[in-house]
Order: sequence, then C-alpha cells, then structure tokens
Amino acid sequence: MAVFEARGLSVRYGAVVANNNIDIALEPGCVHGVIGPNGAGKSTFIDALSGRRRPSSGRVLLDGEDITHRSVRWRRAHGISRSFQRTSIFASMTVGDQLAMVARRNAEPDLAGIVDTLGLGDVVDRVCGEIAYGTQRAVDLAIALIGRPRVVLLDEPCAGLVADEAERMLRHVRDLCRERDVAALLVEHDVEGVFRTCDTITVLDLGEVLSSGTPAEVRADPKVIRAYLGSAA
Amino acid sequence: MTVTTAGGVTAAEAVPETRQRSRRGLVIGLGAAVVALAAGLALPYVADTYTMGLAADAALLGLPALGIGFLARHLGLISLGHTAFFGSAAYGFGIAVTQFGWGPMPSVMFGVLAGTAIALLMGVLVVRASGMGFLMLTLALSQALYQLCVQTSFRPLTGAYDGLVIGLGSDTSFLGLSPADLQDPGLFWPVVWVPLAVGLVLVWLVGRSRFGTTLEGIRENEERMRFSGYNTFAPRLAAFVLSGFLASLGGALFALNAAYVSPDVLGFARAGDSLIAAMVGGLGTLVGPLVGTALYVWGEARLNSSANLHLYTGIALIVVLVFLPGGITGTLQRLWKRVKR
Amino acid sequence: MNAAQVLNGIALGSLLMVLSSGLAMIYGLRGVTNFAHGALYMVGAYIGYSVARHLDFWLALVLVPLALAAIGVLLEFVFFRPLQNRSHMEVGLVTFGLALIAERVVVLIWGEKTLSLDPPAGFSGTTSLLGVDYPTYRLGIIAIAIVMAAALIVWLRHTRTGLYIRAASQDIETAGIMGVDVNRISLIVVGLGAALAGLAGALAAPYISVDPSMGDKFLITVLIVVVVGGVGSVGGAMAAGMGLGVIQTVVTVWSPSVSVVVPYAALVVVLLWRPRGLAGRRTA
Repeated sequence: MAVFEARGLSVRYGAVVANNNIDIALEPGCVHGVIGPNGAGKSTFIDALSGRRRPSSGRVLLDGEDITHRSVRWRRAHGISRSFQRTSIFASMTVGDQLAMVARRNAEPDLAGIVDTLGLGDVVDRVCGEIAYGTQRAVDLAIALIGRPRVVLLDEPCAGLVADEAERMLRHVRDLCRERDVAALLVEHDVEGVFRTCDTITVLDLGEVLSSGTPAEVRADPKVIRAYLGSAA
Repeated sequence: MTVTTAGGVTAAEAVPETRQRSRRGLVIGLGAAVVALAAGLALPYVADTYTMGLAADAALLGLPALGIGFLARHLGLISLGHTAFFGSAAYGFGIAVTQFGWGPMPSVMFGVLAGTAIALLMGVLVVRASGMGFLMLTLALSQALYQLCVQTSFRPLTGAYDGLVIGLGSDTSFLGLSPADLQDPGLFWPVVWVPLAVGLVLVWLVGRSRFGTTLEGIRENEERMRFSGYNTFAPRLAAFVLSGFLASLGGALFALNAAYVSPDVLGFARAGDSLIAAMVGGLGTLVGPLVGTALYVWGEARLNSSANLHLYTGIALIVVLVFLPGGITGTLQRLWKRVKR
Repeated sequence: MNAAQVLNGIALGSLLMVLSSGLAMIYGLRGVTNFAHGALYMVGAYIGYSVARHLDFWLALVLVPLALAAIGVLLEFVFFRPLQNRSHMEVGLVTFGLALIAERVVVLIWGEKTLSLDPPAGFSGTTSLLGVDYPTYRLGIIAIAIVMAAALIVWLRHTRTGLYIRAASQDIETAGIMGVDVNRISLIVVGLGAALAGLAGALAAPYISVDPSMGDKFLITVLIVVVVGGVGSVGGAMAAGMGLGVIQTVVTVWSPSVSVVVPYAALVVVLLWRPRGLAGRRTA
C-alpha cells in the first residue's frame, strides 16, 4: 500500500504550466525514479511535494490523509524529508556538528549507522565547506535520512559527481531505503543510473506524465523511445 | 575530543560535536571572566577621572556594540537599528523619572523593558529579512523612531529637539549612589562594568549552547534548517531580542549617568558610528566590537576638537572593509594563526 | 487641501523620482545599495549653488550632472569595479563610509551654514494654475523631472545600451557570457546614476535650503522608495517616488506628526504584503 501519493498535482507559474495533473505513488522500501529532459518540471514537482511551493491544484497524501497544505516543519516531523539539487549543507559547521544538530531535532536511533554506511567516519571533525564535493553530497544525503523519515524526496543527489561517485551514491540510496524501509523519490539526470537503481519510474515531459511503470515497461514504451530515450536506448 | 559513550546515551551523542563543550573550556572561560571582572573593578583605583570617564563611555556604548556583534556573528545579520533600543531605553528611563516620578532603580528597569519591547516589535518585522534588506529595514525603522521623537506633538514627553533633562531627586539613590555620585565616572564605573562583563559572559555562553548551534545552522542555511524540522523564526527573534536587550541596558545606564537624553542617541550618525566602531574592532570575534568601541571613544575624545570625527570614521570604515576584512581583532587572529603554524 | 498642496507633493515627488531612478539603476546592476547616493545629491546641490552664484543657474544644470558623472566614474573605477567580487554588503558599507567623508568634505569647503539660492530670472514669480498662484520654479522642477524620467524610460526600452542595461540587471553573469561588455555598462550606469543625483541636487538648491545634512535626510526616504518600488526596478522606483512625495505632502497638511512616518509605514506595509516591492524585479 502506498505511503505517499500525489493525485492530479498541478503547478502553474502565471500562464506557464510547470506540472500538469501528475499522479504518483511511493511504496515503503522502494525507490521511484523521476526522469525527463530539462524543463520537464522535475524540480517543481519535488518542491510541490515537499511543501516548498504550493500546488495550484491536486492533492498530496500521506497514508491517505491530505497533507497538501501542511507546513514544511509539519512534514519533516511526520517523516517527509528532502534534499536539494544544489548541495544544501551547513558549510561553516563541522560534519559532526551539523548531523548532531539535525539528529537532535529528529530523534535518530542510529546516527552512527548512517555515518558508517555513507563513509563519513573520517570527516566528522572537518568543516563541511572544506571537504571534497562528493563527500559534501553524502553529508547532504545523511541530513535528509536522519530521524528515520518514511518518505525521502531526493533532487538530483548525483549532480556534479563523477561516474563512480554517482554510482556509489545511487547504491547508497537504494541500500539505505531498503534497509530502513523508506519510500524514496529520486529525481535524477542520469537516465541509465535511474533504470539500474529504481523499482518504478515516471517519465515527465513538458510538465506531464509521459509514461510510468517498472524500468522494463518504461524502456519498452514507444512514447518514451520516441520522445526521450531516442538514440540513447 | 570524542565523547565517551556510556550505556543509554542516544546515538546523537555518539557523533562528537567538535565545538568544545567540555567542562574544561567552560571553567577556563568563566575563570577568565571572573579575573577580568575583578581587574575591571580595580580600575578606578589606578586610573584618573578623565580616563575613567572615557572607560565608562566606552562600556556604555559597548553594550549595544556587544548586541550588534552577537547578531552579526551568530546570524550574519548587520543591524543599523540598535540606536532604537539604546535610545528607547534612555528615553524610557527619562520619562519614568520625569513623568512618573519613579526612583532611579525602577526607572532603569522600565527603560530596559521599553527598549526590549521595541526590539521585540521591530524583530517581528525584520528578522525574516537578510543581508541588505535587514540592514535597510533596521535603519528605516530606527529612523522612524527618531522622526517621531523630535515631533513637536511629542515635546511634553521627549522634549523634541531640546532633549530631556532628567533631574533625579537629591534624596534618591541607585545602589547606594546619590545622583551626584552617578555622574562621577569612578563611582559610576561598577554600575556599567558589571553588566557589561555579565553580558559578555552571557553572549559567550549562548554561543556555546545548543541554541547557539541552532542560530549557526540558520545563518548557514535557513531553508535547510526548515526542511530539517526547525522553526527558524522564533530563534531569530529570540536572538534579536537578546541583542536588543543588551543595547537597552546600555541606553538606560547611559541616561542614568548623563542625566540627559538628546535625540542624537536615536540619530542616523549614531547608528552609523556604533556599527562602524563594531566593524573596525571586528564583528567576527566576541570582544571585537568592544575593542572597536573603546577605540572610537578614545578617538572621539582625541580628535573631535576639529569636528571632523566622521571624516576619520568614514576613512576607518573603508580601510577596514577594503584592506582588513574581519577588523582589528579578526586581522590579529589571522596573524596569530599564521605565526602558530 | 488645495491645488498648491498637491503641486507641492508633485514637486517633492519629482525630486524623489530623479534621485531614486539612479539609485535603482545602480542597485539593479551592481546589486549594491549606494548609501552615498544622498551625498551625491548634496554635493550636486553645493556645486550647483556655487556655479549659480558665480556664473549662471542654467549652466549649473549642465555642469553639475557632468561633474557628478565624473565622480560616478571615479567611484566605479576606485570602488565598484575592484570590489565587484566582494559581498554586496561590504561594498554597500564602503559607500556608507564615503557618505560620511563627503559630508565632512562639503563642510570643510562650504562651511556648516545653511545656504540659500534664488530661483533663476524669469522663474522667481508665481504662475496662475488651476486657480492658484503657484511658484513658477517648482513648476519648472516638475517639468524637468518628468522630461528626464520619460527620456530615461525611453532610453532603457528602445536603445541598444538600454537593452544591455536591462539584460545585465537581470543577470550580470549571463549578460557577460552573451557578449555584453559589463564593465562598460556598469560605467555608464554608475556615471548616469550619479549625474541624476547631482541634477536632483542642483534642482533642489533654489527650492530646499542647502545644508550638510540634506543628503542624510533624503537618503533614507530614497532607499525606502527604491525598496517599495521593487529593488532594481527603475519604473517602480519612479512611481513609488512620485507616489510617496504626493502622499507625504498631502498627509502633512492633515497631520505633520503622522506624515513623517508615512515613508516608514509604507516600507513596512509593502514588505509585509509584497516582499519584493510593488514592481517585483524588473528594470524599466
């Protein structure tokens, strides 16, 4: 049964329709990928789901309950967490300080586990702005995972990473979600990575759902092949 | 530096917070504070009246500077509006004495309360802003207060441009000091030195506390703090009010010492001066604003004969901004680190 | 309330309009709040006073903007350009320091006394308008300001340089990548902004008395005008300047105590209701 759903979600900026009537359902322990070309409305979608932007119409549901107009804080307290496309860390604080700070707010029984899995053990005493970019992205993910959220919305966690770093990041996302029974939404540019990582996929184009299903179904969808994968597939 | 994890501690403590929360740091800091407090109290026994006058002025202006520095360090907010709290407290004290006929102690309390209330009111309007917006809003709102204060319709209360002469009854006393004693810098000194030293310790402790970490998180990345489940408005407002409280304390004691308030305490020039002094000293360190303020008071006494004080403060500000980022204390800190390495 | 009071409001609004358009342009391009803008206005008034005293008022209206444009160019080369990679806050505070210095320099040259200047020949009397006799000079201010404002808007909207300015104000980095010579644009904007501030000062000299605090008095109002109009929006700043001038003057008739807080109240209301100002972020 879906823990987190969007039903008929639309977001308009004036006359521009950024998201039009999008449906999506996330299951615990599964990673749901969202792909689409630039301007497909992926970031707007994640903003609308996370409460950063108010949708023009449609609903966001948690356990079937309408939470469309709940605040960002309410969402975090009820297990909905997100990361940002641009690394969103606390640059002048040490890694340990900021993880502890977030953990203080969101009771986390196993912070050491997150730190270990993401390989942050060696940098806890380092100032976050001074560590390698790939490690900063791992801190970013760690912040989103603290407090056992039930739903994690990840906005391009691999942006700016080199191939093997991206590979590792996606593996962490999949492993941590399975292990912690988190329902994850993964917006990502790297189409092949999404196909390898995700259990289900939605393809957005010009703000609308072009196709949706398992990686195999989406890959086989003629509309996707025509509009998006084209030569790549 | 790793925190020992005895049974039953939460995992949050298993990741060591690098800021030294150790008891040792606390003891050293508090010890230093006690020594400084005692040394300061001994000052009137070694310094002459002229020096004590300057020291008292520096300490009085140091309280708002401490508040300005606190906001800048922990929230990255630069205020040009602390004259509003300093001035409101000074006028609050004056009005309590002249209008309500209260004694000096309740009047000082009333003044501090009035200034802090203004800080709360202004804080609700401004703490959501950041950077230049915050600077302009604080400047504009504090200047609105100045404009109101000098209006003829407020003359009975504030004396408008003439200011307010605060005549304390000769039979009244403040902590055992008669009105005449209060104007003797040597005798008045402890009245301002103790609050300043306590304020300094307070600001230091707040910075080390969890509340301090929360403020740091908001300064670094307000949006991520909200998405991490933090309310970011209330802590900012609380910090703003604390900062305004320190300035109010300075204002009320200033009026107690001077027995006179002029609208200049709310003016544009004063707003600029207190920020410049704090910046020249260095907003990045705890004592920077105090160093800058002391330098400013000393410079004012030395240079003001030609009335060109602002020429020098303007030049000092530009020199510090262009060549010495971090002010005097920030530069010293950098040099010290380089020497140590 | 009569026509003369409304016209007074429009005259004040005209000065605010000229002054704030320059500030808004510099803010839009450099992202820097120029706290020295009030000082530029004051320096313009003092230079205008001297030129009008010794030579001719009309010549002052030409020479003052030129002199101030030169000062603007100097500001650009000495401060804005070398410091463009510093935070906007730091550069803004540098201009704050410049304002303090300018005020004292003016006192050293012209003294602390309030100076006054007679309107030029032919503009000293009154003109009958809408049933009232109104000072001709103030009508002149209104006319010049409106012509300047219209010219500026047309220039920004319909010339190549205007297009570059609007592009650079939207996103200075992208404009640079697209081949706009950002340094040249910035030089023009800062020079023009300073020249407009000087023109406002020279126009104000026979209208408002000339004294060293005239810059500070206007600076805060103009900062408010720019924020209320929508930071970086020249058209918004002009509209807000005119609006605020009229409202403030009209309220003064009703209650002087209330009128002094009008700009501040407008600022708070606008920022709570529309944090990005009335015009949002748009140039011209």
